[in-house]
Amino acid sequence: MRRLLCTLVVAAPLLALSVEQSGAHHSFSAVYDEKQVITVEGVVTQFRFVNPHAMMSLDVKDKSGKVETWTVEFAGRLNLMEGGWTVETVKPGDRIKVTGNPARKSDRQIAFRRIVKADGTELLPTQARQVNAIEQERRERARQRNQGK
Amino acid sequence: MILKCGFGLLSLGLVLVACTSPPAEPKPSPKLVEGMWSDPPGAIGILCFFTCTDVAIERLNALLDDPANDARPFPELRAEADKHSRETYLRPRLTEAALKNYPLDPADDPGLLRCEPWGLARQMFSPHQIEIRRLGDDRVELRYGEWNARRTVYMDGRGRQERGQPGPLGNSVGRWEGDTLVVETTGISANITPWRFEHSDALQTVERFTRSDAGDTLVLTATLTDPWSLRQPLVIKKIWKWAPDSKITPYEDCERPAAVTRGVSPP
Repeated sequence: MRRLLCTLVVAAPLLALSVEQSGAHHSFSAVYDEKQVITVEGVVTQFRFVNPHAMMSLDVKDKSGKVETWTVEFAGRLNLMEGGWTVETVKPGDRIKVTGNPARKSDRQIAFRRIVKADGTELLPTQARQVNAIEQERRERARQRNQGK
Repeated sequence: MILKCGFGLLSLGLVLVACTSPPAEPKPSPKLVEGMWSDPPGAIGILCFFTCTDVAIERLNALLDDPANDARPFPELRAEADKHSRETYLRPRLTEAALKNYPLDPADDPGLLRCEPWGLARQMFSPHQIEIRRLGDDRVELRYGEWNARRTVYMDGRGRQERGQPGPLGNSVGRWEGDTLVVETTGISANITPWRFEHSDALQTVERFTRSDAGDTLVLTATLTDPWSLRQPLVIKKIWKWAPDSKITPYEDCERPAAVTRGVSPP
């Protein structure tokens, strides 16, 4: 069994973005199942920081020690750069946990929603970061409104 | 020619006065919209990531202002505003012909299936950068991050190009109306729109690019007409933020998906 950390129905707000909202240049619903979220852990072997979609290869060990290569698909370089990504943000050799939507018809392929690096650094899609900022602003506005009552 | 002339005359209550000399032509102000722009921040920025309408903006603002929605996540409110716009503004404007296949299945998107660059109806609203540059005195270039697409807008006074073979991005002519860049495009080959309905090669667009008073936002108001797909013109908005340091990077690694699934698209 591969090191599949969890499989769950989308719940966390940061994962509630559709693929379209996440910054992809078209809907990915025909390729990825947005209702499912999985997490895999492995070592990056390649990160292609390109348009229209950045692509990553990840070596994931199963319990028997067998290595399987996963593919992680991102929004494009144009979109990631808006969020401050560079070609150095993720490098071959990095151990990471990737959370995302699994492909409907392909094994070992997911659409990126979140990465946690070995040092705890969290990487999110550009628009997820923007949504988090909006939610923070809304909470502050609600707090001020409630204080004024 | 009857024109308004002179503050002194206006102060005497003479609003309309005969003037003998023609008014000075308004000076083009390309510098106001010229430069690099990219995705805007904030709630409206995300709403308008691809396109938006005044109906959607008004709805989202109302939802955000209502304390009853404080606990609802923003993506849910954004989706509700977008759905409201589609149902009350877009759908009533579609003809029977357009409604027949609306909304198209994303699995049939040629951009996804075959890495086919977008037609104008999608390209003009594409996310990420738009760079507006003058090419001499008689042309303006619009360059987009998405697909690294380029459009040339002829500003030399020529009329709409009604003849010739239609192409994906059509033929564009433009003019300055004060500080607003107005671009009219015809000769657009039949394709699909960002709202997933088909349009014909009779589509015509008028884009109006205006810089906000604060200077940090570029607003596009586009009017689309197409007798085959639209009962009435569609007026669509798009916004960008001033982003002089943003870079358009190559667009040359499109990979076709190994497998797609039909019938699973969101409404």
